[in-house]
Amino acid sequence: MEKASLIFITGGVRSGKSRFAEDLAIQNAALTGGNLHYLAPGVASDPEMKKRIEKHKRERQQSKVEWTTWEQPRDIGELSGCFNSNDILVLDCLTTLLNNELFFNEEKWDRVFLREIHNMILTGITSLLAQSQQLIIVSNEVLQDFSQGNELVWEYSRIIGQLHQDIVNLAEQAYLVECGVPMMMKGDKE
Amino acid sequence: MHFVTGGAFNGKRKWVSKTYGETKWISAFQGEVLIEHLSPLNASCVVLEGVEEWLRKLSLEMDINEARNYWKSIVLKWLDWESSAEGRRLVIIGTDLTKGIVPIEKENRNWRDLTGWAYQDLAAHCNKVDIIWYGINQTIKGEKG
Repeated sequence: MEKASLIFITGGVRSGKSRFAEDLAIQNAALTGGNLHYLAPGVASDPEMKKRIEKHKRERQQSKVEWTTWEQPRDIGELSGCFNSNDILVLDCLTTLLNNELFFNEEKWDRVFLREIHNMILTGITSLLAQSQQLIIVSNEVLQDFSQGNELVWEYSRIIGQLHQDIVNLAEQAYLVECGVPMMMKGDKE
Repeated sequence: MHFVTGGAFNGKRKWVSKTYGETKWISAFQGEVLIEHLSPLNASCVVLEGVEEWLRKLSLEMDINEARNYWKSIVLKWLDWESSAEGRRLVIIGTDLTKGIVPIEKENRNWRDLTGWAYQDLAAHCNKVDIIWYGINQTIKGEKG
């Protein structure tokens, strides 16, 4: 297998990006013989979220391969000791992780705080990468909306945009999933 | 003319800097105004950044059809400037605001509508259009590369 240690996948809501990430992970785990891990920052804060999480969980349980799920709302780097060097990790999704980091302490969103969060997430990603065969990061397309005039939305857009740019830059492959169809935006097309 | 668009915070400015190097740079974000006549700038390559901000002003100052017609007339002047001397290039950067939920306020709806139309009018006159996605360009019009 051609080694692509970092893969970035994004798309709209319900575009099939999680499904695509899982399929890629399963294919690659079959090649490396590593275990599959699902890193889920999502916490079931309301019944709707709970249902969505249950749906994703059920689908992974029904699949022919075995997944280990790690519910880690913040500080994903903390998990890096839990994997073997041939394991495949899926982080689903980055926006949820970012939300948890941003709202955990009810801190003021000044430049220093936002920079810290940005660095913490990137460092976490780097340490997961160093301790595994492959990390697949799933995120959301949120930056083509009309988000003018609201300072909080502006800061959020800025930090998620910069994270996406940094991750795409580090990644060997990047995909945009539209209606279940993945489009390769970065990487060698076979 | 080269139109560079894409979502907010996708690295459009960085990509244009990298692609065109040292240029005359005019940015709405630095409070600079929309320029109709580029000749006095005395530069061969000009970058106009933040056209969505100038379009917002136009949408507040005039009726949306007037604003669109005025915009079209400016685009033609820019095109004239570019074609009237060898080696001139105009690069225009505009953030895509058009793929979300309809804004609640009438003035924001007008602004967003004008932006969509203005980008169509602009792209029609550009020989190259790129969409920037987290630092990666996709050429949707003109020669790739």
